[in-house]
Amino acid sequence: MAAAAAAGQVDADTFRRLYPDDYLRKFVEQGLRPDGRPLAAARPTSIGLGAVSTTDASALVKVGSTTALAGVKCEVVPALPEAPDAGRLVVQVEMAPLCSATTRPGRPSEGAQVLTEQLSALLGSVVDARQLCIDAGKVAWAVYVDIYVLDADGSLHDACLLAALAALSSLRLRAVSIDESGRVQTGAAAAAAQQQQQGERPAGQQERRLALSCQPVSLTCGLYRGRLLADPTAEEEPLLEAQATATLDESGAVLGFAAGGTAAVGQIVVVQCLEAAKMRGKEVRAMLQQALEQAGLAADADAS
Amino acid sequence: MAALEQQPLLTDGHRRDGRAYEEFRNVFLKTGVISQASGSAYAEFNNTKVMVGVYGPRQSERKVGYSEQGRISVDVKLATFATRQRGMFGQTPEERELSALLATALEAATNLASFPKATADVYVLVLEAGGGELGVAATAAALALADAGIEMFDLVTACSVSRAEGALLLDPTVDEAAREEAGLTLALMPACSEVTQLVSRGPWTSSALREAMELAMGGCAQLDALARQVLKTAAAEAAARRQQEQQQLQQAQ
Amino acid sequence: MASPLISAGEVQWITAGVSFNCRNDGRQREDFRELSAQLGVIAQATGSARVQLGETDVIVGCKAEIGSPDPERPDCGRLVFGVECSPVASPAFRGRGGDELSGELARALERSFYPGPSGRAGGVDLSALSIVSGKTCWVLYVDALLLNIGGNLHDALSVAAKAALADAKIPKVEVVQGEDPTDEPDYEVDDDPQQAQRLDVARVPLCVTVSQIGAHSVVDLTAQEELCSSASVQVAVDASGAVCGLTKRRQKGVDPSVALEMVEVAQRAAAKLHAALADSLAEQQAQQMSVG
Repeated sequence: MAAAAAAGQVDADTFRRLYPDDYLRKFVEQGLRPDGRPLAAARPTSIGLGAVSTTDASALVKVGSTTALAGVKCEVVPALPEAPDAGRLVVQVEMAPLCSATTRPGRPSEGAQVLTEQLSALLGSVVDARQLCIDAGKVAWAVYVDIYVLDADGSLHDACLLAALAALSSLRLRAVSIDESGRVQTGAAAAAAQQQQQGERPAGQQERRLALSCQPVSLTCGLYRGRLLADPTAEEEPLLEAQATATLDESGAVLGFAAGGTAAVGQIVVVQCLEAAKMRGKEVRAMLQQALEQAGLAADADAS
Repeated sequence: MAALEQQPLLTDGHRRDGRAYEEFRNVFLKTGVISQASGSAYAEFNNTKVMVGVYGPRQSERKVGYSEQGRISVDVKLATFATRQRGMFGQTPEERELSALLATALEAATNLASFPKATADVYVLVLEAGGGELGVAATAAALALADAGIEMFDLVTACSVSRAEGALLLDPTVDEAAREEAGLTLALMPACSEVTQLVSRGPWTSSALREAMELAMGGCAQLDALARQVLKTAAAEAAARRQQEQQQLQQAQ
Repeated sequence: MASPLISAGEVQWITAGVSFNCRNDGRQREDFRELSAQLGVIAQATGSARVQLGETDVIVGCKAEIGSPDPERPDCGRLVFGVECSPVASPAFRGRGGDELSGELARALERSFYPGPSGRAGGVDLSALSIVSGKTCWVLYVDALLLNIGGNLHDALSVAAKAALADAKIPKVEVVQGEDPTDEPDYEVDDDPQQAQRLDVARVPLCVTVSQIGAHSVVDLTAQEELCSSASVQVAVDASGAVCGLTKRRQKGVDPSVALEMVEVAQRAAAKLHAALADSLAEQQAQQMSVG
């Protein structure tokens, strides 16, 4: 093997660039990953809420180097005739040109489109659009969830989903009031208007949180030489034989399972993936809970 | 909200956010924030948050054709949620213009001859537009270019000045800029004292313009000291990491 | 745009000429080429002008239409700028080749008419274009066509745009309220040119591009001279001499004191340019009057 022969003469970094597969194999055979993780471990994860003040809710999620920023903006829009008693949830994933060497400005990349499809379907089932109705047949909320991938270092689905979930969990829909002429006010102005109107026709709503039917969390796993690598990085991803993303809710119900790659994924691997995703889900939900509590306390302090 | 719009921007020599007239917002700069990029930087001036990734120098796209000198291609985007009114995903004419202005600010400082025929792509994403985006983006982009190891003649730092209610305000917020009588953004190569970009809006008399430029240049010098410190710290950390790795390697052998 | 080529010898010749204050065509550093502005060159347009600055040749037409105002400025009309880089002017503009330049030029024009986000320092009184506050207003579409590029496009365009707006006659509109007050009112546009109003463009700034060739500031560069310049500043100056807008272009940086000097050169040159345009406008408008 030329690779092995050359190994003695080049430094680790050069070897890593020239023979990425051999490089990874040497680690995996030792039961380790190039970044020092065990095979089944996900990277350190952090959730920051309220990073962007121009949004109604936002969350910055880092999984290792992979970074996703979700921002939620709510707008009052006319209700659609085909769904008069429901609002809209619009999810969009954008791979910003700065997130990787292959993304270029202009048309959205294929990866971003696939993620948009997957997350739209998933979050559409988590948020009941009927709760976004303000005045049936007239006005409703449109909730725009825009997720920017800032650093694409593998397992984007997990980071994007977590960012969207964290942002939606911390979202408070502003108070809304509608006066006789049909003018819609939101936020502090609406709250004031409602105080004045007390006793009259109750038009509009108080500030409220969004109800989520469950908390989906996903984990991406890769199959490499018969071994399962959890949460692969961008360096590992192209070397994998197969890759699968499992999405589960807190009860352990499977909400989605997407697999792809050159090798078929056997039953045992599927079970292993689901098991790993279940464990990961617990860990991530605890983290999210903690982040929400911190933010929640901060919000209460503001109010008092 | 309507009441706030009527209130003066300045009271007792202070601005609404408590700053003095010639004081920056809280500035935070960091390099090496994107693992995939050749160089990257993040800059935060309170509510203005900008992330820059530099890729390359790499082969130019075929459509731009041959050039003896290297090229800097700048692309600025505002996140859809960066402004109060939700933006769109496609690039607006304003963003295209920001890109062109930023390219001018950076080209003068970059040794384009050091990467002939190639392009350095500078991608800028404004996560939140709290005022002074051009200046913040220029400062961050120069740091990202330096982080990418691209040869530069000098760093570039930039900041804005607004004239409002009879005073010159350094580093205006978006609310202050919306009510300015005139404003300018100046990008400077501080060590060689060369202006690489100057954009002004609204009427200036010559003397007021001179005064505002001096204030902006003073601001750029302050930012420069900070930017250099950030680069030095990053270099020291990288050196320490390399040394540690080498020691580990020696122990292993 | 693929830049035209120039030899090192030519660069040296031009640079040396500039340093002796004698340019190829005999001009001094702060002299403009001969300016000719013809008004009313397009009969169907609300206002139009063709401006020739040496070899540079541009046409600007503006068309007034009734539209709706910007929600952020309900009691103002709107100006919409467009620049078309015709392949007639340069083969590089075939297909989408001119898009970048036309975008840049259109934004530059827009900025000199709407300086500052607050809009308070606007060169045109946009409230004169309002018809019904918040509902309807005049929208002036200002479209420019580049016919020949002989250097200093920005300045020629800004002169042409101002001239075209000066030529524009906004028809008088009467709002006729129907019997039911909730009905949309009708708008009657008066065709009589005697009733039409001219826009006040006296405060509209003109753009002067000052460039560095060698160590000197030069205005109104020819296409060849532009290839010798490393840095330039576009300055919008109004008739009173105040600087209304400023943008730096091209690769090299400039010393702050040089930048200020360039602004001063622009102010001096702009005064001459304003005077030349005002004379030309007054003369032609007087002619139109006598013919009318």
